[in-house]
Amino acid sequence: MEMVLFVLSWVSIIAGGVFCIIGAFGMLKMPDVFTRLHAASLIDTLGIGLIFLGLAFQAGFTLVLAKLAMVLVFVFFTSPTGTHALCRAILSDGMQPETIDGSRAVLVDEPETSPDEADEAEEV
Amino acid sequence: MHGKIILRVVSKFLIPYILLFALYVQWHGDFGPGGGFQAGVIFAAGFVLYALIFGVDTVRTVVPPAATRICLVVGVLLYSGVGVAGMLLGANFLDYNVLASTPTGGQHIGILLVEAGVGITVASAMITIFCTFAGRRRDDGEDPVA
Amino acid sequence: MEDVIIISLLLFMAIAAISIARMHNLFAVVMMTGLFSLLGAAAYVVMDAVDVAFTEAAVGAGVSTVLMLGTLALTTSEEKPASPKHARSAFVLVVITGAILVYGTLDMPSYGDPNAPMHHHVANRYLEASEKEIGLPNVVTSVLASYRGYDTLGETFVIFTAACGVLAILGRSRRPRRRDEAETDNKPEVDA
Repeated sequence: MEMVLFVLSWVSIIAGGVFCIIGAFGMLKMPDVFTRLHAASLIDTLGIGLIFLGLAFQAGFTLVLAKLAMVLVFVFFTSPTGTHALCRAILSDGMQPETIDGSRAVLVDEPETSPDEADEAEEV
Repeated sequence: MHGKIILRVVSKFLIPYILLFALYVQWHGDFGPGGGFQAGVIFAAGFVLYALIFGVDTVRTVVPPAATRICLVVGVLLYSGVGVAGMLLGANFLDYNVLASTPTGGQHIGILLVEAGVGITVASAMITIFCTFAGRRRDDGEDPVA
Repeated sequence: MEDVIIISLLLFMAIAAISIARMHNLFAVVMMTGLFSLLGAAAYVVMDAVDVAFTEAAVGAGVSTVLMLGTLALTTSEEKPASPKHARSAFVLVVITGAILVYGTLDMPSYGDPNAPMHHHVANRYLEASEKEIGLPNVVTSVLASYRGYDTLGETFVIFTAACGVLAILGRSRRPRRRDEAETDNKPEVDA
């Protein structure tokens, strides 16, 4: 039983590492900033999830497992939010996604400006 | 502030946990890694996140500049006060052994109060520095570099 | 095995430092500074100094990056081009100084050597007597707050002074001015 857990944890951690490397490679080779963000999100979901699974096999049913689970929940909340905030910043800066035939993408919901600029625009 | 709904909801959900974690790190410095400095920085990071999403003026309403200035001083005075209390009770400056009935109990109380002082000062210093930097605009005061 | 991890982390830190010195876009430089702090925190964890790693990650990779980005929002985001006049002599001087420093470290005791002098005078007493005298499980906190409490008082005063300095230089908070007020009040003089 111990041997099985040991092997499973090692396989999970190595698989998580492999997905991290794939994500990093994708970040370097992708042509556009939005596709690079998508490749980076691979690290945050599969990479961290598999490494957490491997560490959970090693930890057993202890307090360490509960702390690891809370770290995983926290990362699952904050990583997509960070990507979302980054995309908002890129779109409000004016950059548009590249398309194959060169047409501009039509983004339906234009992101609002920051509250200070909106207030100043209202005052003036 | 209409379009930032994902950021607003997630940060409203996460900021109480960040502040709670800062308090956890503060008081568990005796048993694990932690202590005043780390707790103060994490506490200020919660407010910095709030300021990034809801605006610096909202943070100024929640934490007025007078409050952070008073807290800056209170932390340092608390630390020095523990030292002076040791002197008033007959021992050297910053001697914790005399603060309670047993030396070990005195050390516990002394370290608790001292770390609290450090945490308060560090948190209010970080909030002050961030709000001072972020509250300025590019054309406040000097001419921008052409 | 631990040596491999530490050496690779230090190698990444060196690469990050070189890229900080060579890049011109200041936003990228700030991000690399945060990355440098994070790698340093990882190196501290591998060396079993978890308190220091905690502080380094929180301050260096967290708040410090945000403060620098706030500063960049007030100034330009491209570094001014450096004049190449004294580059060669500066490089030679830096290499000579670095070589002298490395030669000086050859005489130091090796990392983690139990016979090193620093492990025999005061550190021994703190480690052995901390359980009896103070009774806290975390020796780092007992050394920081009790045995060396005076130094920590000085550190707290330093942080307090830094905040006072920022308040004194950048002034009190004011509400963001309206754009027409700012245009009429625009003074042509520049602060030295």
